[in-house]
Amino acid sequence: MRFMMLMIPKGYEKAAPGTMPDARAVAAMMKYNDSLQKAGVLLALDGLHPPSMGARVSFTGGKPKVTDGALSEAKEVVGGYWMIQAKSMEEAVEWASRCPASNDEVIEIRQVQEMSDFPADVKEAVAKFPGLQAQAGQRGKS
Amino acid sequence: MRFMVLIKADWDSEAGVLPDAKLLTEMGKFNEALVNAGVMLAGEGLHPSSKGARVAFSGEKRRVIGGPFTATEGLIAGFWIWQVNSLEEAIEWVKRCPNPTGLESEIEIRQIFEAEDFGPEFTPELRAQEDRLRARSEQLSSAAKR
Repeated sequence: MRFMMLMIPKGYEKAAPGTMPDARAVAAMMKYNDSLQKAGVLLALDGLHPPSMGARVSFTGGKPKVTDGALSEAKEVVGGYWMIQAKSMEEAVEWASRCPASNDEVIEIRQVQEMSDFPADVKEAVAKFPGLQAQAGQRGKS
Repeated sequence: MRFMVLIKADWDSEAGVLPDAKLLTEMGKFNEALVNAGVMLAGEGLHPSSKGARVAFSGEKRRVIGGPFTATEGLIAGFWIWQVNSLEEAIEWVKRCPNPTGLESEIEIRQIFEAEDFGPEFTPELRAQEDRLRARSEQLSSAAKR
């Protein structure tokens, strides 16, 4: 089973463009990432620049409307993620609990949908596009 | 530049309602266009937050909170990772995306930190460690999807 651990740092929704993580926090996090990797658990990870450097697109009534990320009123935003492989939700929660996170951070753990989780009609619709997953995976490595 | 494109959760995704065949076909076409343009690096859907958990940190204490979580704007249903030249290009791609729910929906676009963003604090040793980590993770990742 694959799980996504979403890091939600409180206050990051208001961070100025160009805000950088604290070097000491990064050093502690690198050790943690290393432990995930040595255990064969870590599949992918990334950190995200603050929302003030991004954008939002809403689809009200079918028309895309772009909003500057700095103008968003979101109360919670993602600061980064880990994709991990674990045997159960409990194991994923165990890994999240070991993270050297600070008091104003929360980690949300969500299970990734696998093809085997879907009913027959969904599988059929996806099967019309063979090679999509494989190709995307290939590009990710280059 | 890499961007993470986050599809917001809504009542349906949280209730575990799966997209219909029409939307799946449109989304399949969109994904195919992304792959053909060399933009798509990854993409996954997430199970509803009722099957998830949160871990809150307070000093040495860890508090585990079971889902579901209130559908605030923070909650997501899925994501893509794209390789594009600018935020504007990412926005253009998102505009071409079929409405993910068919109703009211929102997609958030966020730039991913790259090693170059960190400056000299990110020493050659740390970079090497990071590269090793990513190489091993990618091997495991392709094995996990099979």
